[in-house]
Amino acid sequence: MFNSKKTLIAAAVVTAVSGSLLLTGCSDSGSADWKKMIEANDGKYLDGAVVKAILGEDDRARLVKKFDPSNPYSFEVDDAIDGGAHGNMQCKVPEAFVDVHANVKQNYYDDASYKAYGYGTPIAEAALKNWKIHVDGDGQGLPPLDVGMTVEKGANMYIQFCSVCHGEFGEGAKGYLPLAEGDPLPLATSDMNAPAPVKTVGNYWPYATTLYDYNRRAMPFWTPNMPAIGEAGYMGITGYILQMNAVKLDDAGTTIEDEDFFNAEMLMKANKYMRNAGNFFCDHRPVIANERCMKDCPDYMVGDGTGNTKDYRTAGRLPDGTPQYNVEQRIEVSPPGVGHHGF
Amino acid sequence: MTDKVVEKVAIQTEESRNQGRRAFLKGSAAVAGGVLFTQAASASPAMKFDAKKAVAPYSGREEITDVMPDSMSRKMLGWGVRQYPYGMPSPFEKDVQRRTLEWLTPDSMASITMTPLQSLHGMITPNGLHFERYHGGGININPKDHRLVIHGLVERPLIFTMDDLKRFPSESRILFAECPANGAMEWKGVQLNSVQWTHGMMSCVEWTGVRLSTLLKEAGIKPEGKWLIPEGADASGMARSVPIELAMDDCMIAYAQNGEALRPEQGYPIRLVVPGCEANMWVKHLRRIQVSNVPLQHREETSKYTELMPDGTVQNMSWYMEANSVITYPSPDFKMQGPGRYVAKGIAWSGRGKVDHVDITFDGGRNWHEAKLTSAVLPKAWTRFELEFDWDGSELLMMSRTTDETGYVQPGMPQMREIEGTNNVYHRTAMVTWKIHAHNSPQGGMIENVQF
Repeated sequence: MFNSKKTLIAAAVVTAVSGSLLLTGCSDSGSADWKKMIEANDGKYLDGAVVKAILGEDDRARLVKKFDPSNPYSFEVDDAIDGGAHGNMQCKVPEAFVDVHANVKQNYYDDASYKAYGYGTPIAEAALKNWKIHVDGDGQGLPPLDVGMTVEKGANMYIQFCSVCHGEFGEGAKGYLPLAEGDPLPLATSDMNAPAPVKTVGNYWPYATTLYDYNRRAMPFWTPNMPAIGEAGYMGITGYILQMNAVKLDDAGTTIEDEDFFNAEMLMKANKYMRNAGNFFCDHRPVIANERCMKDCPDYMVGDGTGNTKDYRTAGRLPDGTPQYNVEQRIEVSPPGVGHHGF
Repeated sequence: MTDKVVEKVAIQTEESRNQGRRAFLKGSAAVAGGVLFTQAASASPAMKFDAKKAVAPYSGREEITDVMPDSMSRKMLGWGVRQYPYGMPSPFEKDVQRRTLEWLTPDSMASITMTPLQSLHGMITPNGLHFERYHGGGININPKDHRLVIHGLVERPLIFTMDDLKRFPSESRILFAECPANGAMEWKGVQLNSVQWTHGMMSCVEWTGVRLSTLLKEAGIKPEGKWLIPEGADASGMARSVPIELAMDDCMIAYAQNGEALRPEQGYPIRLVVPGCEANMWVKHLRRIQVSNVPLQHREETSKYTELMPDGTVQNMSWYMEANSVITYPSPDFKMQGPGRYVAKGIAWSGRGKVDHVDITFDGGRNWHEAKLTSAVLPKAWTRFELEFDWDGSELLMMSRTTDETGYVQPGMPQMREIEGTNNVYHRTAMVTWKIHAHNSPQGGMIENVQF
């Protein structure tokens, strides 16, 4: 089974202690050879044989090696290895995507001759005060420390403006998803028949900054960026949502209390203790590198992956046994099955 | 008109099912042994066209002998010019619509419609059928009031009017826009029987606009500017983080689609175009681009649009849409009209470049046959493919598999599910399987979405 980041974090701890680099095994095959291999294969940098030659034999080995930022197929940068817990996670376009980098060079780095057309109008940053609603993963863009309110006041704000859709305790309402965990289903599951896990701020969101950014940017859904809430109100609401998710503020496990004045400083403390932060990793695709087989293909490419073409899943059927079809009166309107819970 | 003509292709209706049955009762000859290929190309080039031989398949078929009535359109004048100052499709095409599944979202302002791929031809989606995805509802913005500002880590923050933007060198590119949730409902099995539902969260149009790299250089982007944060002027203030490599590779600020101004549904008056990447990054109603040293970590790149793996870890910043393909005919909206010769048709695309090959299997993946590419083959655009085959009426399991110019071969669903689990939601880019029910089975000739 796919198991990457958790194992890797454990591995990183061990290797850090022993003083060696994370996944040093990559450097032998990830050296200058890869450019030649890709070139020799007509630039086909995702060809199964090329990927295999550069990264190793099986899918799992390939996958693990991709978490090394020096690997040509890695989307990771050094920052990303720690996930969000210790900073703002970044990813990059892998070096092996040679055509992208060639274009970037030509369109940007090697364009010494560019001279402005002069069609725009200069504008001062200060003139954009009302437009700059951006708070990033580093906390850039947060309001000054005197902007905020007690978590208790924030809760009142929340009940007034948010609870109609999200429930008083973040349990969700009217089809809108919960914000907080009650008894959430575990995120880790490979059970085909288990319902999809519910993703909440507490068990899924990697950044607390996102919560403030998004609340102020787009909430309440019907009247976003609302003056009646204001920056202080959005800060208070953010504090209450983090409290309902039991987000800690330090290693000692200090919790967010009703009487705490919730401001940017508190938010950035909470940002370091988002429970799921360390579980995010950069895009690792493609993981599957198949051959283009045409005749008598091996079993893993056939049917259910064992060569069996007799067992397959079908959609629900109409009472007369016919499959559902895309005709108005035949569209199934019952709630979705497992595996999906809205966007 | 006449009911004696048996249509070869018909949308699934009671009527077409009956037609199929009639064709069967008339005794179409059954061919034993699965799918046969018409080897037109194998004929010797020296042989001349033989008219009698060519029409042989019609021998024994009932001939229409009733005198064809003249139509009303021959007996009266049509309408004058400018009856429709902006033309619309024929009223008979009224069923070709964007459609949505109401249970997908709690409201229609943060929702999605799907393009009716089963009814489209060629590689261009008509503007009125381009799929919609709103995070805060559709809006009409007056272009006179709209501005685009580029600021942050630049030498000279600049603001542009629409007229300013149109003065810059322009570029037109045919590119697909695909929601990364395309096919999201099918991770644990199939739910729906239409290519509109399985693949309709995407469209392909010609976008015209300014290269983003031009505008960034115009403002004097600084070397420490590694991320762009494009932001929309809609209620959701939609934003994402775009790395500098993607921005300088081939991003555009588009103001036109298929030769006319962007439609409001697609972000009028301007949107970001990130070719080959998740359409969620193609911020609509673009108002502001902040050049930053770090990513935003917006809700739509952390809480949503991230892929949950079976071990509980999460893949994020997954920008590229992988190579993908689907057979649009025969597909579940159609029904086979009895044994005989068919032309399978479909679309293939890749977010990383051109489509190199499309292969079709009829036996669930054991053997494959290369299809012909029948449209222009452009990077990050839909490519049309076709393959002729003779159906003997037995059960088929049809899949299409694309190989793109990077050498990536589209995998099957069991392989993808094994690695990425079933709660991933996004980037379900593995093959789909159409089961053609055997002609003499109770669901004879029906085409059903099944999943291994």
